[in-house]
Amino acid sequence: MKIFDPHIHMSSRTTADYEAMAAAGITVIVEPAFWLGQPRTHVGTFEDYFGSLLGWEPFRASQFGIRHFCTLALNPKEANDERIAAGVVALLPRYLGKDGVVAVGEIGYDEQTPAEDRWFAEQLELAQRFDLPALVHTPHRDKKRGTERSLALVREAGFPEERVLIDHNTEETLPMVLATGCWAGHSIYPKSKMDEARMAALVRQYGSERIIVNSAADWGVSDPLKVPKTVAVMREQGITDALIETIVWENPVRFFAQSGRLTLDEAPSSADSWEGNSVRRS
Amino acid sequence: MSTAAPALAALLAVHRPDLAVAILTESTVDAARPFDLIQFEAAFGATGRRFGTTMLDGAATVSDTTGRSWSIVTWGIDELARALLIVAGIDRVAPAEQVAWLDGLHRAGITRERQAILRCLALLPEPARFLPIALDACRASTQPVFEAIACENPYPAAHFPETSFNHMVLKAVFTEVALTRILGLATRRSTELARMAADYASERTAAGRSVPADLALVLSR
Repeated sequence: MKIFDPHIHMSSRTTADYEAMAAAGITVIVEPAFWLGQPRTHVGTFEDYFGSLLGWEPFRASQFGIRHFCTLALNPKEANDERIAAGVVALLPRYLGKDGVVAVGEIGYDEQTPAEDRWFAEQLELAQRFDLPALVHTPHRDKKRGTERSLALVREAGFPEERVLIDHNTEETLPMVLATGCWAGHSIYPKSKMDEARMAALVRQYGSERIIVNSAADWGVSDPLKVPKTVAVMREQGITDALIETIVWENPVRFFAQSGRLTLDEAPSSADSWEGNSVRRS
Repeated sequence: MSTAAPALAALLAVHRPDLAVAILTESTVDAARPFDLIQFEAAFGATGRRFGTTMLDGAATVSDTTGRSWSIVTWGIDELARALLIVAGIDRVAPAEQVAWLDGLHRAGITRERQAILRCLALLPEPARFLPIALDACRASTQPVFEAIACENPYPAAHFPETSFNHMVLKAVFTEVALTRILGLATRRSTELARMAADYASERTAAGRSVPADLALVLSR
């Protein structure tokens, strides 16, 4: 089965993770720009971060036969830091037109402050301007309200709902998202967010339409193999392979293909070898 | 326009007659309009998905102002198109700002954008000015960026200081890049490079590992 992990922060993972992901059948990933655990205090560090997501990380992935795409944005948490917020958003137009950028994100809410309102709305406008879909993070705290407010902001902005992926859903937020035209992402985590068995139950209840599953693995307690592990649990629970493949392959492909930049036909270009010389180190 | 621009434009027209003129207009590098940096970068960014990355192949060559010619058959069509934009665009930037302009493009560039910039450095006016960009690329661990400056490119042999050139050669060996891909290697052989190569061969032998065959190309000066 072809597997796409549409939300994973590979910058904080190892080559052993890439190896395991490839062995488990993951061939395409999307790495959203987010925060790094340690707050950043200079706008310039975002230039290097965006550069990594567009250069170094796709190269690392290509060494393992994995296609790497990214989404770029000022994240909701750091949107509250006045030292950097405006400067980072001002950087974005330089990067949003580039190959490999398949959405604006993660945008959305953390504490649901006025600053987050402002930068969420301004970055949705950037997504319109660059003809990109939007990836919306929903908060850990006060999640239901945060999801409602996200959906309301998307509607008020007149942003096409079929071009919005609302992420990190739970049993309580999923019906709210499915009632709109937005797509619903689920992050399968060892402890918080969503787990494999609960996800399988949601799929049995709601089917596969606009449902997406990811690992959201990062530098915290998380697992880059959560998408293939969820596939296994869904199979155990009798969900058909066709339905599973819709969720772990076709849906993320359809969502991100709306960017016009999800090039899956070409081999990973940076893995080119020359006259039999592998680019990998001996 | 730089002397290389018409040649690159003609070559691009062979591959993509539908787009070869359009990108010059859209990027505002043609003289018809004021040069617009934002439109230039938008066109530069979109070039990859519009042209694709197929290798040129065939018999494509370019020449610089010193009359030196080299093959560019390993360039992708996107790299040719982006090289054209840079070679033509740099003339629209005030001379004193050209280095900073190209450095900014390179710094913000995705891998294939950086590759295109590095491949055409030798075609730009007063190429020695761009040495810091080339050296930055040599430090890259993103292998295609390193190869874009080190391989099928006359720039290092023409402009690198000895230490930088020698380390580039050793890095090529380390990363299993065939040394025959380094243009002008024979002209930069030296006692010091031969010593570094011999030390590396010794290190490999001591570790019970094989010595790459093409190290022989630099073992004597």
